[in-house]
Amino acid sequence: MAARRDKDHTRKRPKAYEGVEYEPRSVRELLTEMKDVSELIVDLAYSALVFDSKEMADEVRQLEIRMDKLNYQIRLTAMMASRSLQDAESLTGILQVAEAAQNISDAAGDIVDLISEEIDTRPFLPFVLRDADEKFSAVRIASDSRLVGRTVQEASTKTSASVNIIAVRRRGGGWIFDPEPSVKLRGNDIAVLRGTEDGHGMFQRAARSAAPASHQRGQGAERQ
Amino acid sequence: MNAEDEKVPDKAEVGGFSELVKNLLKLKDTSELMVDLSYSALLYDSEDIAHEIAYLEDFADALEKEVVLTTLNEVVRSEDAGTGYIMIRLAQAMEMIADAANSMADVVLRDIEKNPVIGLSLRDSRTTITSVVVGPSSPLRNKSLGEVRLASESGMWVIAVRRGKTYIYGPDEDTVIDAGDTLIARGPREGVPVLFRLCGSELKDDDRDED
Repeated sequence: MAARRDKDHTRKRPKAYEGVEYEPRSVRELLTEMKDVSELIVDLAYSALVFDSKEMADEVRQLEIRMDKLNYQIRLTAMMASRSLQDAESLTGILQVAEAAQNISDAAGDIVDLISEEIDTRPFLPFVLRDADEKFSAVRIASDSRLVGRTVQEASTKTSASVNIIAVRRRGGGWIFDPEPSVKLRGNDIAVLRGTEDGHGMFQRAARSAAPASHQRGQGAERQ
Repeated sequence: MNAEDEKVPDKAEVGGFSELVKNLLKLKDTSELMVDLSYSALLYDSEDIAHEIAYLEDFADALEKEVVLTTLNEVVRSEDAGTGYIMIRLAQAMEMIADAANSMADVVLRDIEKNPVIGLSLRDSRTTITSVVVGPSSPLRNKSLGEVRLASESGMWVIAVRRGKTYIYGPDEDTVIDAGDTLIARGPREGVPVLFRLCGSELKDDDRDED
């Protein structure tokens, strides 16, 4: 998901086929990316509501545009691959899945549109999702926390694998959405997490100032 | 956004809409379960799971209708059209997600030869779906999912449990696991070996990370 940070974004979305060069990518690759986007975009949309974050809402819109383009690409690619009725039949299934992924991303776009509504009751939005099964939280990483210098992958597996870091906000450096597993965490980063209540708690403890007590033992005890 | 000053209004501010929120969350959970199940149905080419999605779709429709009707009543009572508008728009977006999941399930149910590319694409995804049998020596035996804190330990969310010929869809923390159950779970790749270990099951080659 590299090429999605297009600069030009306005509320009026460009049509998917505008400015799309045909990229020779396989249907398999395109569909994988569409699935990944369809999952990330819903997480980001709900967390945009929870944190009333315009930046996250903007990222959702970027992903929505990306999804439109992917859906256009996959249609082109599928049509070019089709040589017989049998091909066409088996490709319609793929296109239907792709279309559904795009519909999910459109729904996520609709969700974040609520953030830009000029309605004074908007502050109740974070409340709506507070009791959902999977929770979102934003955790600041202390500058001397043991998570500093760890990669995103290490941070989630070492604290408990049950939180998913869906975004990181760098001090003075903007956002990293859906960070690669190799991204290293820094002090004062704010990590946006999705996961179980336990997972949030474990991550929060790890993100605090490094305590002299051995955290490894503490974690072992929780396992039972 | 600031981690320290998360402002969450209390129930009083939300007034008569708070009961509604329960149904809205149920709709959200249902729509997310449906998406997870639909990708699983495609991956395993499972008509059983696809049928369940069709059933859940009816449930989601009913929930959406319930949310919209109750919201309208509440708007009439409280004259708070703004909150009502947001509730309805949210319910519609969630229902749209449920519809999309149902449309994916429809691909499984349709009587055409399955395109193997769909399964291959889903396997390459960053979030994996895996299925694992709970072995006789597994610490999960006769424990509830909440008791063993499966999600917290492995990062894998169990989206369905197959027990013999029946399924438990969207199990909750009170669902008790038995030896021989097959868990279908989604989560990060790193969670898969942890889940297999907890289930006392060998990781097969095709469940392993390919890269």
